[in-house]
Amino acid sequence: MGLKETFQQNPNRRYIMFGGKGGLGKTTFSAATAYWLASQGKKVLVFSVDPQASLTDIFQKDIFGKGPVKIMDNLWAQEIDADSHIKAYQNEIRKKILDMYGLDAVPEEIENYLQAASAEPAMEESAIFDAVVDVVVEGSYDYYIYDLVPLGHALYYLSMAKVYDEWINKITKLREDMREYEEMVSRLKREKETEQDQILQELLYIKGRINASSAILTDKNKTAFFFVVVPEDMIIVDTQKASTLFANFDVPIVGYVVNRVIPHDLLQQNIPDYLRNRIQMQDKYLDQIKTTFGAQVLANVPELERDVTGLAMIEKLAKIMYG
Amino acid sequence: MPEQKEKKGGLRGLLDNVQEVIYGMAAHDMSRAALRTRASMEHLFILITMGDLLGIPILPPYYSLRLLPYVVPQISTWKRRMLREKDVSDAMF
Repeated sequence: MGLKETFQQNPNRRYIMFGGKGGLGKTTFSAATAYWLASQGKKVLVFSVDPQASLTDIFQKDIFGKGPVKIMDNLWAQEIDADSHIKAYQNEIRKKILDMYGLDAVPEEIENYLQAASAEPAMEESAIFDAVVDVVVEGSYDYYIYDLVPLGHALYYLSMAKVYDEWINKITKLREDMREYEEMVSRLKREKETEQDQILQELLYIKGRINASSAILTDKNKTAFFFVVVPEDMIIVDTQKASTLFANFDVPIVGYVVNRVIPHDLLQQNIPDYLRNRIQMQDKYLDQIKTTFGAQVLANVPELERDVTGLAMIEKLAKIMYG
Repeated sequence: MPEQKEKKGGLRGLLDNVQEVIYGMAAHDMSRAALRTRASMEHLFILITMGDLLGIPILPPYYSLRLLPYVVPQISTWKRRMLREKDVSDAMF
């Protein structure tokens, strides 16, 4: 089965992800796939969850932090600006504190905490995670294409949903226990209904958001995850490890796409040994890829004569990948 | 602060007083104990969500910030309780 068929036979898979080590072509494949789907008349949003996103470079259009930007008919692209997302979020919290207690300024201790928490390493990923929930839940596109972060980060991103879920279950339980004690006291004191616990409401809201996102990430019917590999020893080994880890997080891995394959017709021409040796090396690793991943290898994409940037090159690549 | 209720006279007032005496004898200790447990849990809750305030890193900070506004008034008593050393009064009360 080829790449095209996996899309045609599973029209319900609306969430498409390309993952793999850094620099192998995740963004390139995301853009080409988005282009192809859009040219088939589907409404497509391709968005990046990478703090060092490169959709701006590939589409040659500044889209960073601008929301969904229209690239062509049916095709929108979006790069999430984590920093400004965090800043807006902080301000929202500050405003809430001021409003709730009628203060003129946020107490110093609290302000320090707000600032310190925002400098935590997990903050940026979490902010993007939250922004993605907004993007995906909104749901008006036929296809959502995630241009993922490199492997290590992506694992972190995926595991976050699980960590969050466990964390939130624990504290929701604690909060509910607290509520029981509160109600007991009100009964003893013969008071009327206890006030609604706003924290519990917030917790349930957070839980809902996390579940919405992780349900999508792990849904075999709606989501397809593709690994990008190149015919080189180290990449194959790493991808194998990663695919085991991803499978543990219930990520529905649909297949592998091989990038940067040097065209075989070059062998007919008068080429230097340097290139001849590289083709031989690739042949060896292509065999290895075939034995390792078997029928899940969906396409071999050739190394092009130049880098893929701009719509013309994206179109060319989409033609190669999807015919 | 709730406004002080006006004292009612007559039989009604007497009944209210009797009720309060009974509450004091029977249920006050129970509700005090319940409130105390509730307060400990409140502190535990803040520790789990805002542990970073004491330098205990607790994941994940992003969503815990959503809860910050609700615990602002409790933060200082919580910090005092978490940071104090055990003393004689712990055994007394």
